[in-house]
Formats: sequence, C-alpha cells, structure tokens
Amino acid sequence: MNRTAVAVELRKTRRARVVPVLAVMVIAVVALSSANLFSDSMRADLSDPSAQPWEQLLLNHVVVAAMTSPVVVAVLASRQVDIEHQGQGWTLARVCGLGPGQLCRAKALVLGAVLTLAVAVQSALVAGAGLLAGVEVAFPAGMWARYTLTLALVNLVVLFLHLWLAARVDNQFVGLGVGLLGAFYAVFALLMPAWVALALPWGHYAAISPLGTGPDGGLAAVTPAYGVLVPYLSAVVVLFAVACRRFDRAEEGPA
Amino acid sequence: MSHVITTEGLTKTYGSRTVVDGLDLRVPEGCVYGFLGPNGSGKSTTMKMLLSLVRPTRGEISVLGRPVDHRTRHELSPHIGSLIEAPPGYGHLTGRENMAVVQRMLGSSDRQVARAVEIVRLGEHMDKRVRDYSLGMKQRLGIATALARDPRLLVLDEPTNGLDPAGIEEIRELLVSLADRGITVMVSSHLLDEVDRMASVLGVLGRGRLIFQGTREELFDRSVPDLLVDTPEPERALDLGLPAVRGPGGLRLSGFDDAATADLVRQLVHHEVPVHGVRRVRQSLEEVFMDLTGREGLS
Ligand SMILES: Nc1ncnc2c1ncn2[C@@H]1O[C@H](COP(=O)(O)OP(=O)(O)OP(=O)(O)O)[C@@H](O)[C@H]1O
Ligand SMILES: [Mg+2]
Repeated sequence: MNRTAVAVELRKTRRARVVPVLAVMVIAVVALSSANLFSDSMRADLSDPSAQPWEQLLLNHVVVAAMTSPVVVAVLASRQVDIEHQGQGWTLARVCGLGPGQLCRAKALVLGAVLTLAVAVQSALVAGAGLLAGVEVAFPAGMWARYTLTLALVNLVVLFLHLWLAARVDNQFVGLGVGLLGAFYAVFALLMPAWVALALPWGHYAAISPLGTGPDGGLAAVTPAYGVLVPYLSAVVVLFAVACRRFDRAEEGPA
Repeated sequence: MSHVITTEGLTKTYGSRTVVDGLDLRVPEGCVYGFLGPNGSGKSTTMKMLLSLVRPTRGEISVLGRPVDHRTRHELSPHIGSLIEAPPGYGHLTGRENMAVVQRMLGSSDRQVARAVEIVRLGEHMDKRVRDYSLGMKQRLGIATALARDPRLLVLDEPTNGLDPAGIEEIRELLVSLADRGITVMVSSHLLDEVDRMASVLGVLGRGRLIFQGTREELFDRSVPDLLVDTPEPERALDLGLPAVRGPGGLRLSGFDDAATADLVRQLVHHEVPVHGVRRVRQSLEEVFMDLTGREGLS
C-alpha cells in the first residue's frame, strides 16, 4: 500500500461528506431495527427468555442491514471514484507518479476503515437500544459479535466490487442501480434457500444471518456456510487486487 | 541549438486507424512551441505519448535528453509539468486543498506551491471551492498544479480552450514570461490566433502527420500566396481553360509558383489577353495555415 496515495485520499475525503452519509445509515439502521422494542406489545416479552427478545432484535438488524448496506456502500464507492472521473484525477495522479490502481487501493483502505468503524458503532447501538428498552434476558454476545464481524467483511467485499465498477464505468448511475438491485436481492435472499444467498455477494448479507427458523417455529441459532463464504470473499479480494494492477499497467484512466 | 523534446517516427495506431503518423518533433530549449492542428489531428495523443500516458505503437521519444518509457517515467515526471485535455481539479475541494493534494503527490515544498499560485495569480481565490471557479480560474489552477514542481518543461494541451480574449491574453503573457525564465513550453491549440503571438516555433499537425515545423517566418515562406491578374477581359482568359476564378480587377489563381507565373503570363500574352498587372495577395497567417492543412479548416 502506497502511503502517499492513502494520505492524498484522506485529504480528498475531507469534504466528501462520508461521515454524514455513514451517520445517516447508522441512525436509520438503529432506529428501524429497534422500533418495535418500544411498542407496548413488546413490553412483556423483554424479560421472557422464550420470547427471544435479543434474537428478535438481531434478526431485525440483519434484515435492515441487508436492505441498507448495499445502497450505502454503492453511494460511498461511486462518490469517491467519481471525483477522479470529474476532476481529471486519474491523469493528474499519473503525471504525479500514482497509477489508477494505487488510487483505487487507497480508496478501498480509507472507505473500508470508516465503513467497518460505522458497522461496529451501528451494531453496538442496536444492542444499546435493547438495553435501553429494558431487555433483561442474557445478552448473546458471541452470536452478536460474529454477525457484526461478518457484516463488516461482506461490506468490504461489496465495496471492492463497487469501487471496481465505479472506476470502469464512468456513468455512476450504473453503480447506484446495481446497489439498489443488490439491496433487493439481499432482502429476497433472506426468504430463499441458502444457495440463492450464496450465489451473489449481495446475497451474503442474508447468508451471514446467525438465526434461522427452528423446529418449533421460533428462532434458532444457525451456522452460516462459512465454508463457502470465506473462499468466495477471498476470491473477490484477490480479483480486486488483480484489477488494480491492471489499471496501473493500462494506458490512461481505468474507464 | 539543443532540443528538449525530440521524436523519431512517433506513431500511434488504434486498431487499424493511425492517429499519429511518423512524427519527427524538435522542440528547442527555452522556447514556446505552438503545436497546432484541427480537431482530431492527434495533438492530445502526441502529448500523452510525450508524458508516457499512452504507449507509442512505433518510434522513439527523448525528453530532456532521456529516452521516454515506463522505466524513466519516474525520473522525468518531477521535471515536467503538464495539463492534458481538461484542467484537473476536485470540485468539492477548495483551490488550496487541491494544491495540497498535488503537493503531497509530488513531494513539493510549501515555497514551490506558493510560487506556483503566485505565478498564475490565483491567490485570492484559493479558499473558494473549485466547482465555483470560472473556466479561466480552473485553467489557471491547472497550470499552477503543473508548475508546483519547478518544471523545466511544460506540456499544455489547449490551455486557452474556452477562455475569452482577455483570458487568452493573460495565459499568453504567463507562458511567455515562463519561457523567459528558461522553461520550455509546448502548447497546443486548434486555433492559430491563440498561439500566434506567443509561440516562436510552430509545429502543424494534419491528420496525424507533421505538415510543418519551424518559425512563423518559415511558415510564410512555405505557402505560395494566390496570384491576382488585372485584366479588363477575364472571360477570354477563362476561355483558355485556366484554373482561375474571378477576382478583384480580373482573375485569382491559386498555387502558382514563380515559374508557373511566368508561363501563365506568356500564355496570356500569346492569346492577346490584355494584362494590366500581375501581383500576389497579402496573406494572413490564418490563410497560410489553411493552405497547409488543406483548407479543411481549423475548427
Ligand atoms: N483511446 C482511443 N481509442 C481510439 N481512438 C482514439 C483514442 N484516443 C484518441 N483517438 C482518436 O485519435 C484521433 C486524435 O485524437 P486527439 O485527441 O489526439 O486529437 P486532438 O488533435 O487532440 O483533437 P482536439 O483538438 O479535438 O482535442 C481522434 O480521431 C480520436 O478519435
Ligand atoms: Mg485534444
């Protein structure tokens, strides 16, 4: 990773409103996930283990995150790349000694870091909302942490895909459209068999759900198909690295 | 005279289309070199090859005495300031923040950046966002980014594009003053007017080929001005099948050099066409240029 490229990327991010975009995402996800905690009908369930209040809350989080994350990631990636298309940034960087692939890697690092931070804050706030509402059942810390970690990883993979797409196709409506379709797919995949969720990276927002339906019709812990998810995610990371090298070697910009 | 840029047979083809064809450029040190040609004649492509942004299909390039390829790119780039196609600038950042980005990429000093901003006289607009800049301010910011490394060579692609006459004049003075400081400036345009009064050496490109390279005076010598024949009976002359059109006071003929002119007069006299006078029109540089680029026009 080129330190100059990262330092420059941070300077460009300054007024790009990355933090406000992420803040809106976090607030919206926390609000939507925890809305029904504060309804009167839930009040009695908060201290009843068989009502599974934490599991209900986590499942809400899974659904809302699947709905919003693909769009937020697409918006961030396309904004951060579009400034290069609009401002002749690829050529400027080239004549200053930085290839387009180096810029893309720096963007992945900077956006990946803030996105991961946002997911951690978001997940903590959803749990905090549960405590605030007065859930008295024991907190399933392991399951919660595992989901948060895998959500952050899926975000990174989808981020890499969108950075590549935004760099290749200078019309940013394409990337944003893909993000929207991705959100539909992610939600749809929650209701479909596991292989549907595993087929496309956007479905992984559903595939990482640590909860499924148990034999009694209630929520039961399930183990996501890590055997498929981990190699899949690794492959995307490798492909992104290869694509960045190709950007650096090609003539002119990546589009 | 030493040359800052020389190319031998520089060629670029895209698929089966040759867009730059066998250029032998010679850009002398310390001059303003005007690189002229109609739209699509290959100016930007040539400049991109000089900056190793585009790989030549064939031919050699030497810049500042070094061959240009991917290995020397890093050695050369600190000495070359450039502006290709449109001026760079992140719209969401201010002028100052844009310069900070460039400074970090180039590793320039604060002094170099401050001087670049001063040269283009952008000082009072540095805290405005670039998206609110006028076109002229954007061009000047682009030139400042090119200057931020104390370059020995500037390669500027249509830096006057879209500017009003006052803006063009300002850039002209700026480039001439840079050349006076010993910086070699190669500047492209599709309008002769724009570079006429700043460039001391001209290179003219037509359909990817270099059709002229030399001084302004040499350019005049290259083209044969039209001939005007004063005669009260132009119809009789036309009946002889001369490649002439009606002109002021008689006939106008193109492409007649001195020998052809002598032949023409002999022929007219032989056929007893009264000749009152034969003279050449005074040509503007624009017309000379049109002559060279085959009257396809410059815009
Ligand atoms: N990447 C490319 N692929 C295919 N053709 C190209 C490419 N880049 C340029 N061309 C073609 O090469 C020709 C020369 O283009 P170039 O941009 O160098 O011209 P120019 O002299 O700079 O024109 P203008 O005055 O309009 O800027 C054009 O016909 C253009 O279509
Ligand atoms: Mg051009």
